[in-house]
Amino acid sequence: MKPTELILYKDHLSYWLRQLRKERELIGPLRGEETDIVFKSVENIHDIVLDLPAILPTVKEFLFPQYEPMFKYLMTDEVVDLRDNTKRVIFGVRSCDVTALTLLDKFFLDGYKDPFYEERRNETVLISIVCGRPEPECFCAGLNTGPYLEKGFDVQLTDLGDRFFVQVGSPKGHSAVMRFSFLFRKPYKADYEDQYEVFLSSKATSQKRISLEGARQLILSGKVKDDFWRMISDKCFECGGCVYQCPLCTCFTVTDRVFGDIIERVRLWDACLFKGFTRLAGGILPNEERYLRTKRWFYHKLIYYPDALNGFGCVGCGRCTIACPTKIDMASVITRLKVTAGSEG
Amino acid sequence: MKKVEMNPYMLIKGRISEILNLTPDVKLFKVRIDGIKDYLPGQFFMVSLWGAGEVPISVTSLPSDVLEFCIKKVGRVTGEIHNLEVGQYIYIRGPYGNGFPTDIANKRGILMIAGGIGISPLRPLIEWLIKYPKGRQIIFFYGSKTPKEILFLDDIERWRRNGIGVHLTVDMADKKWNGPVGLVTELLKSVNLNFEDAISYICGPPVMIKATVKELLSFSMPEERIVTTLEAHMKCGIGKCGHCYEGSKYICIDGPIFTYKEIVDYALSL
Repeated sequence: MKPTELILYKDHLSYWLRQLRKERELIGPLRGEETDIVFKSVENIHDIVLDLPAILPTVKEFLFPQYEPMFKYLMTDEVVDLRDNTKRVIFGVRSCDVTALTLLDKFFLDGYKDPFYEERRNETVLISIVCGRPEPECFCAGLNTGPYLEKGFDVQLTDLGDRFFVQVGSPKGHSAVMRFSFLFRKPYKADYEDQYEVFLSSKATSQKRISLEGARQLILSGKVKDDFWRMISDKCFECGGCVYQCPLCTCFTVTDRVFGDIIERVRLWDACLFKGFTRLAGGILPNEERYLRTKRWFYHKLIYYPDALNGFGCVGCGRCTIACPTKIDMASVITRLKVTAGSEG
Repeated sequence: MKKVEMNPYMLIKGRISEILNLTPDVKLFKVRIDGIKDYLPGQFFMVSLWGAGEVPISVTSLPSDVLEFCIKKVGRVTGEIHNLEVGQYIYIRGPYGNGFPTDIANKRGILMIAGGIGISPLRPLIEWLIKYPKGRQIIFFYGSKTPKEILFLDDIERWRRNGIGVHLTVDMADKKWNGPVGLVTELLKSVNLNFEDAISYICGPPVMIKATVKELLSFSMPEERIVTTLEAHMKCGIGKCGHCYEGSKYICIDGPIFTYKEIVDYALSL
């Protein structure tokens, strides 16, 4: 199905968002107290930042939060299911995150359904904005995970200066737009031409070329020895920054918190880079050596993710490149991997 | 109001009907529970106490109204479970995992090899084989640290009476022990069996599994008929939490039972 295409003048944006906010919590990119831009619940629509850098925090937090209460247990032996069914609309989502969510859908909803993710996902509408100016760390274009998406989005906006080119790609997006159709008009030829120009310039902006497939093939060929992973892992602080910033890292732990008479079972983001992650009963640590954990993270993204979900566990968002203090992020490691293993081959 | 769909993380409450102290740190919990009728030997449940957490525990009974869990006190959650008394409640969800393959056991000689609490998942499989004998030769090897730590001795005697060849060994004998002392792998050498046409089910600590597999391979037992259980840290049991994956396999949903051939093919670590 070809997405419905429309035009929204920026003058009408705040009105539209205000209408949406009457039914849903509105999440948008806001400037924090320092200079960082963060996704937060929007109180004043005019605080929303429109001149956005390409790399923003991931919106994973709203679908799979860092701290998610699952159940509440009361001393009366009653259990309350704490699934969050808040209706949300998130404005300003990046295309790479939209692509990541289509993979997370497969992960969380195929086989056993994860009801906490499912409920949030069903109730969330994503309004994504195409990046006109990718950052030096980005590499989505070569992976076809952005900046322009053909499908997978609810509503995709392209900034044309005074107006947005609007594409509606899902029933949820359709409802968010069509109920306020009086705010939108059909695109003219000039709009298509302007959109095409933005499309071209976003492609022309030199993005890094990182081939995940090339890296996968190198690993599968057996040319990447454990010495390589030892060298990489020697630099790892185990800070977990890459894992927490990654829109496709989903490992979690579950713990019970006791508040007087109430017990809350919560799940928290966990990281395979931590030594205790695979600890067995009796304290056995199968991945005690750090390089095994580093290797596992890269293998998960480059080998196991494609095997299981038919897509790499990386969308080229570049966040780990920014997060990693020692430059052992996905892009840097792949670049090094080619030098190291490629020279032997 | 919107209908809330089933939540796979939701626990079912069971009442503890009996507790047997098998050894100072191993107890058998019999749990009366409604709504869980179908499960296979080798499958496991997430067993939980509110305020403590959840742990994966193999079921050690055949399907009935009463589920049996053999639980060793090894950590915080199992420690708190050990403090429970008859009449109190325990919370479970499951069954999870694949269970032992039994279709490949037809008419073959069957070796059951257990180490320590590894007898627990094999126990319902042995009971199942006794229930449906089909004229199979069944030999059970069981290694324990000391004679006092041999679990389910009454059951083992009954199995013996049902025609199962029972071979027990201990690491350290006491005054009363007159059986063999040493590793369970040593016992394998003494048995008269056509290993090439037999099947083996192994469960025990990783070091014991490794040694046993090596021994069986040296007797030309085919890789696809060496069946064992893998152990992993788990938080969900349903393939989401990420703790137990190895390669593209999840121990919780693709296992915990694997043939040695699968372990080799999928590059799983024993």
